[in-house]
Amino acid sequence: MAASLQGVAKILWRLTPSALQPLRIYQHCVQRLHPRANLSPVFLPRHTFCQVASLQDEGAAQAAEALSRYKEKPWEYLESEEYIEKYGNNPVWTGYRRNHKGGIPPQKTRKTCIRGDKICGNPCPICRDPNIIVHHQNVKLLEQFISPYTGVVYDPTKTGVCMKQQKKLTEAIDASRGHGFLPFQIPYVDFTKENYSNSHDAVGSTPPPASLTSGESWYKWYDQITPDESEVTKVKKKYKAYLK
Amino acid sequence: MAAVRAARRLFRSFSQVKNVQQNKRILLRCSVRTFCTEHEDNALSHNAKPQFTDPAVQDILSRITGLELEKVFRPIKQELKLPEYKLMTDEQLNQERFIVVREPSGTLRKASWEERDRLIQVYFPKEGRKLTPHPIFTEENMKMVFSQDRHEDVLDLCLVQFEPDSSDYIRVHAATYEDLEKHGKYDLLRSTRHFGGMAWYLLNARRVDGLIVDMLKRELLQDAVSLVSLFHMVHPHSESAQESALQQATGTDLLKIYAQKESQRSGYIELALQALEPAAAEESTAT
Repeated sequence: MAASLQGVAKILWRLTPSALQPLRIYQHCVQRLHPRANLSPVFLPRHTFCQVASLQDEGAAQAAEALSRYKEKPWEYLESEEYIEKYGNNPVWTGYRRNHKGGIPPQKTRKTCIRGDKICGNPCPICRDPNIIVHHQNVKLLEQFISPYTGVVYDPTKTGVCMKQQKKLTEAIDASRGHGFLPFQIPYVDFTKENYSNSHDAVGSTPPPASLTSGESWYKWYDQITPDESEVTKVKKKYKAYLK
Repeated sequence: MAAVRAARRLFRSFSQVKNVQQNKRILLRCSVRTFCTEHEDNALSHNAKPQFTDPAVQDILSRITGLELEKVFRPIKQELKLPEYKLMTDEQLNQERFIVVREPSGTLRKASWEERDRLIQVYFPKEGRKLTPHPIFTEENMKMVFSQDRHEDVLDLCLVQFEPDSSDYIRVHAATYEDLEKHGKYDLLRSTRHFGGMAWYLLNARRVDGLIVDMLKRELLQDAVSLVSLFHMVHPHSESAQESALQQATGTDLLKIYAQKESQRSGYIELALQALEPAAAEESTAT
């Protein structure tokens, strides 16, 4: 039993280094996605993987740090040197060109740039930069996707973002306007024709009717009804033949 | 002045057909607006207390509001659309709905004001109103927006969202006016439809000092005088009102009496009056 276990361990030990080779860290993918699961099985000595593991950890730690740095405060990225170097004063989507067949681009952009682990070729302006996070407090970023003259959100065919990010954008813009971070034109409400009074019959308690307060029941026939004696005798006389 | 009167006539003559696209940021609305009197003190039974809707009060308030054309007619971000014409019938504007609620215990009761508003919005939705109000009306968000000097936006949103009777409306307005008064940012509302409301709120709370000081700083003597006269109208039993009634004071004398009797910042008001007196004298001799 022990011998067979050792044999299995040896085989596995030989196999796993080869599996660990393709651990090149893809710049975009790994930063965005969940960190790779630890592959070493329980019964293997850890000291053989010290070097590789430490490099791996550093890279993952850096990536995780970058992610978390802007995750808490996504608006800080738009003031950082990195951003200014990349984009300058232009909006994030300048210069992006969609790849499509023919002269006329399709009416909808692609559904999403990132499916699971994989990121597509030529990702959209938001997906290609992992530090750009669509958040309702990230006003500077959101303003880049709204027209400065009409206040209308740009179409995805103009900016090039994928449909998933466009949906997130519109939700973030709505939330931002709701919370008051993003100023917008408020529709005008006219008050001339309506008169406002504090009291309305439909609101508040109605006073109970007199019959209830005096102790009587709602309908007369809810109470015990005692018939008139004379009436009863008359009716009995009439139907005497049928009475027992 | 003629332009103002013309504008007033144009926008008062309401037919049933409205051009929905018109930019209606004309502030003169406030003069025609009816209001419920919830946030004033209990009205005195004798000596009918002047209400917000009295024509005299409205006249003074609209005069104080001023008409800064640059601010009123500033360009707004609007979508490029062809004009839409909507026919509004009386039924659509009707609020007479009986709504009752059956509770799980079986009792049938009339709906409260909040429930009524919500259900009416569901069945007869008003433009711009949401079922759950914007999160902007919470305390922290309002503070943030006030720090950005966007009180006007908050008040506009409040008008759109809430009925004038509702508690939220009153709460938001009170918070806005308090903040404005604390920081002395009266000029933000100056040519808007909200100025009258703010002035009325401060009058009833008897805290007009800040507003008068601000007016004097900007050399709006006439406005200050009319504000003080309005104060006397609203609080006829105060000392300054009685004094001025005795002396039949007008113009800057009103201000002086007010400064002596009522205000806490009398020193500043008197100084400002002295500084502005030559200007006032010139005006009175010229007119």
